[in-house]
Amino acid sequence: MRMDTVIMGGGLSGLSCGIALAKRGKRVAIVASGQSTMLFNGGSMELLGHIDGKAVSNPLEAIATLPQDHPYSKIGADRIASLAERAKLLLTDSGINMEGNAAANHWRITPMGVAKPAWLTLNDHLRIDDLHHLPAKRLALMCIRGFFDEPNSMLAQGLRDLGFEVDAIEFTTDDITALRRSPSEMRSTSLSKRMMSNAAMQRMADQINQLATDADLVLLPSVLGQNDDSDFQTLQAMTHKPLRLVATLPPAVAGMRMMKQLRHYFKMLGGTYLMGDSAVSGTFDGNRLTSVSTAKLADMPLKADHFVLATGSFISRGLVADYERVYEPVLGVDVDADSDPDRWTRFGILEPQAYSRFGVATDGELRCLKQGQVIENLHAIGSVLSGHDAVKMGDGTGVSMLTALAVNDHIIKG
Amino acid sequence: MAERMQICNLSENNFEQCTKCSICTTVCPVAAVTTDYPGPKQAGPDGERYRLKDPAYYDKALKLCLNCKRCEIACPSGVHIADIIQHARMSASEGRRATLRDTLLANTDLLGTMANLVAPVANTTLGLKPTKWVMHSMMAIDKHRTFPAYSRQKFTTWFKRHAAKDQDAFPNHVSYFHGCYVNYNFPKLGQDLVKLMNAVGYGVHLLDKEQCCGVALIANGLYKQAKRQGRVNIDSIRASVSRDKREVITTSSSCTFNMRDEYPSMLGIDNADVRDSISLATRFIYRLVDEEKIKLIFKQNYKRRLAYHTACHMQRMGWQLYSIELLRMIPGLDLVELEQECCGISGTYGFKKENYERSQAIGSILFKSIEEAQVEAVTTDCETCKWQIEMSTGLPVENPISVLADALDVEATRKANLISD
Repeated sequence: MRMDTVIMGGGLSGLSCGIALAKRGKRVAIVASGQSTMLFNGGSMELLGHIDGKAVSNPLEAIATLPQDHPYSKIGADRIASLAERAKLLLTDSGINMEGNAAANHWRITPMGVAKPAWLTLNDHLRIDDLHHLPAKRLALMCIRGFFDEPNSMLAQGLRDLGFEVDAIEFTTDDITALRRSPSEMRSTSLSKRMMSNAAMQRMADQINQLATDADLVLLPSVLGQNDDSDFQTLQAMTHKPLRLVATLPPAVAGMRMMKQLRHYFKMLGGTYLMGDSAVSGTFDGNRLTSVSTAKLADMPLKADHFVLATGSFISRGLVADYERVYEPVLGVDVDADSDPDRWTRFGILEPQAYSRFGVATDGELRCLKQGQVIENLHAIGSVLSGHDAVKMGDGTGVSMLTALAVNDHIIKG
Repeated sequence: MAERMQICNLSENNFEQCTKCSICTTVCPVAAVTTDYPGPKQAGPDGERYRLKDPAYYDKALKLCLNCKRCEIACPSGVHIADIIQHARMSASEGRRATLRDTLLANTDLLGTMANLVAPVANTTLGLKPTKWVMHSMMAIDKHRTFPAYSRQKFTTWFKRHAAKDQDAFPNHVSYFHGCYVNYNFPKLGQDLVKLMNAVGYGVHLLDKEQCCGVALIANGLYKQAKRQGRVNIDSIRASVSRDKREVITTSSSCTFNMRDEYPSMLGIDNADVRDSISLATRFIYRLVDEEKIKLIFKQNYKRRLAYHTACHMQRMGWQLYSIELLRMIPGLDLVELEQECCGISGTYGFKKENYERSQAIGSILFKSIEEAQVEAVTTDCETCKWQIEMSTGLPVENPISVLADALDVEATRKANLISD
């Protein structure tokens, strides 16, 4: 089967690149081995959150100071602003409504109640533009009885530490109680399926209206809207107070929603999404990759002019570590990784870890290398790239989307 | 040494690869509609740890699993979640007899053979209120269900009388595993396949011996019988492949998935030497077109708007793109690809009284999306999805092979492939 471009990996970077190419009329296939780590996303995108442990307030300025091996530096710091604008537009086109500014981070609130810098946040989720001017004085934090995915007391304490007055109000409805029969199912994604009917939403709204009378703003765990934000709008219309959702532990409804919307948009543009299949090997002809074989298509490999490696980091198996080395398992392209396993990790899980910066090696155009040779038609994007650290720098989602669009430009240019 | 340690640490169904991320639970169609089912993570890898300690930890709720495999498709760590659940069910059922209802539902070919003999009577009787009442209350087959109509003439009878003698004259050859549905309920699909294959120069042949693939037997716990029938099928397929040099094609995604993947993993039948020679017809035909070995010419004035539904087992095989790409070759066919959702029937599952409501609740998302697609018909590679969608949406459902055969300009195609009359 012949395509214009084959993308290995169906997460945020793969889909962003696929959408951009399909929009330009290209025939694109995405090979997606299972759901992606976007299902852990609580509703925000980050461009750059921290440098050396310090919060970044203007990502565009800070990006200009990054080292040469950071993916943003390879794209070119001067291009970040326009790529960020295009990324936001791509999300809007997919039906994902987010707000934010690449030149000024706002704050998102983690389920543990910590404020972290963010670039874009879903409109129906809590966003704080300025910690000195909070969007409300008194919060009603609605705590679902028996709910697994929100450590309520930590969240409430975190919000108080930021200066909010917080009433933590426990509540339940018949729909929620019914779900408690199966203790393992008191999770946000299960609740979001239960809450899809207007009747269930009304029962929830009744509780909120009755219990949260003193608040300026009502916070509800993000258990609404796994398809789009219409469920939130419905509940808001039924509720007397302004309402915002607050991130839960993963798997998260917000991430699930964004993935569904991106996938739907990609397919609408005529893209082929091979769900549950994975790229297993490639055939090279000199400095070019000519085809990629997948587990399911077996002896009918996918041929294309261009290939994009978007297989993610260790958790998605885009990178694999054994006792001796770190490698890229599909095509065997070169990786930037320390050769001494003793230096991969350091004691203390919250310490910066060397392995989080490991990834595939690329040239200035984000093309992969194999035994030191540039593969002309193979680009890498997203978490599989070396030189960035999603955990410590808060640059994961930004790198995914911006490298995807930069590579789209390289491919379109030919 | 290091590598050896890793190998020794892996179990057959790799449940220790589970990172407890719970992503599987977010796509489970059963857990979405009932709290009686603990969800794939709990039922699969989590429960397996307990069951390995003591089989008494087996949870009866595991029978609610549809075996749709959506959890396996979603799993980012490649854990065979549904296989773990099926194996647990299998070991828990050892020594227990299946109920009459389950045996009846499972034996699609026995039921078919009997019903074909008296098709008009069977169709009427199975549709009558008193019969439905008896089935509903005595046998726990839900009264809302109508058994798919039985054909008067089996596909194999038609084939032997009207088609068999012409097949040797073609330059190329395939064997056709028609399955129970084509044989007993809907011979037209088999006839469409013969029409299509003949038009591109392929003679179609039956296998030496074909028995029901056993997908329903496995679902209903009749593993021994499934294994017996599976061996007969694989022996016949082997004869076709090695003796006659004929690949084996099918028109049912579930039969195909069962014979390729469940035979070795569930029934311990070794099919490694012939697995690659068992293919869904759409994949087989797509390959021929892609390699420019055949040409398909379609009618000029053809105009239809259809929605394609990816059956769960089709997605597990990862082959929906062949059916979709072939359908997209038809000029004048406006094809809507539906978001993959489970229709809820899962073979015989939805026929059972205790599952009816759940089955319809599971399918409701799909039915809504079909309604919104505003199409004249739906196309899918699975026959039980067909019954479920037809009953629940009122729209006709066709196999992609029938759609292709209908849109095909047979004369022009024969000419283009240099087939003389």
